[in-house]
Amino acid sequence: MMEKNSEKTALDMPKRLSGPRRLIGDRGNHFLNKIEGETGANISACYQCERCTNACPVSVYMDVNPHQVIRYVQLGWREELLGSTTIWVCLSCETCTTYCPNDVDVAKTINHLRNMAFRSTVVPAEKILAIFHETFVNELQRFGRVNEFWLMGSLNRHPDVLKEKIKSGMLKEELALGLKMLRKGKLRLLPHRCTEMKKIREICRK
Amino acid sequence: MTSLALYPGCSLEGMANDYANSMTAVFDTLNVELVEIDDWTCCGATAAHSMSDAMAVLLPAKNLAAAEKMGLDIVSPCANCFNRLTYSRKMILKNIYDVPWRVTGKTQVHDMTRFLARPEMIAQIKQHVLMPLKGLNLVSYYGCQMVRPPKITGFTDYDNPQTTDMIVTALGANPLDWSYKATCCGAGIGIGRRDIQYNLSKRLIQKAFQAGAEAVIVSCPLCQNNLDMVQNEEGMPKIPVFYFTELMRLAFESEKCSVQYFRKHFTDPAPLLRKKGLAR
Repeated sequence: MMEKNSEKTALDMPKRLSGPRRLIGDRGNHFLNKIEGETGANISACYQCERCTNACPVSVYMDVNPHQVIRYVQLGWREELLGSTTIWVCLSCETCTTYCPNDVDVAKTINHLRNMAFRSTVVPAEKILAIFHETFVNELQRFGRVNEFWLMGSLNRHPDVLKEKIKSGMLKEELALGLKMLRKGKLRLLPHRCTEMKKIREICRK
Repeated sequence: MTSLALYPGCSLEGMANDYANSMTAVFDTLNVELVEIDDWTCCGATAAHSMSDAMAVLLPAKNLAAAEKMGLDIVSPCANCFNRLTYSRKMILKNIYDVPWRVTGKTQVHDMTRFLARPEMIAQIKQHVLMPLKGLNLVSYYGCQMVRPPKITGFTDYDNPQTTDMIVTALGANPLDWSYKATCCGAGIGIGRRDIQYNLSKRLIQKAFQAGAEAVIVSCPLCQNNLDMVQNEEGMPKIPVFYFTELMRLAFESEKCSVQYFRKHFTDPAPLLRKKGLAR
């Protein structure tokens, strides 16, 4: 992944755009209206000044830059957005939203696209991160609070994650780190269980 | 004696229990009572709002409801918990979702650094300092969730926040100016993309070193772990990363504060403290 990014230059066309040409905005305004209505983000006001992309700490790792996300929403390119790495790489650090001169809530838009990706059939571009979010919520439903030891345990037990992490050698590193943290007393092995779990599970189903 | 409802957050039970210990000690000294919210639940952190907006509003609502019952304002030591609770409160006031608990949203949510940076608290801190941290050059790092988005958090100086700087100045230390106060450290992305998180955290540590800092002050458990862990990498400068409460405890307890309190750090702060004559 890293090599691919370092080779990327400003003149290279993103892969999605070099394919067969699509009509711009061939779906009308439905997608724009839907997202604008659901998030309250001021998407139509964007004039592509790229301030969000320049402020973003992780825009180099994205295939669709934050200002392009807003443009794609205006054009209704749903599949390109849901299949992008952008929606998973985004850290929700809200820098883009803070510095937008037109009050476009870029972070909320990307976050909303992530919500949509969970409910869609599009395969997530960053598998482990997508699985992580799901595991986090599952853990939350189990105890009401999230215990780091149990969270990492259930994440690494997931077959897709396990396969990927063994291949990249990350599992070994993580186990060594876990052991170090355990020795320092940074891990709590027995989780606390909250009452009212029924209501919490109901919320998580929404 | 002031009382506050404490929402510690999941990290303070595990990864950041040194933060929790120092926080309790500091608030005991300052004579502020912290009442832990009974049976609090997770605020949902990044995962809940990634899955659905309803979850991000309703999960923290339980804690808001519990604090309302207690009739106390909430103080949160964790930056992300503070952000999520404040967001939930603002959305409850807008009445978008049906909340299964009795909650009106009248409880204030305070960030711990901002609560301690009030003029009256700063005056109290100054009174309790037994050993001023003279000659300790440090940079304060705020991270993203505590200050942004300003519409939610209410920080007007989101470019150059001052709360921790004010607290460490009261302790006698010397906070330096640097440009990376609120640049993201990578948060939880290290779980899937270690390369991104390491690049972001490395840059912060290197910039802190270039600014001439001997230590970094944080107020977020995840930032502390990210910035501390990345120093295990080869060729990184070794700068201890403190929670601001740890330094407060050091200044308040003076002789009684042992180096053992900092045992949980990856980069051992003991050599620095000994060099400055702040610990034996």
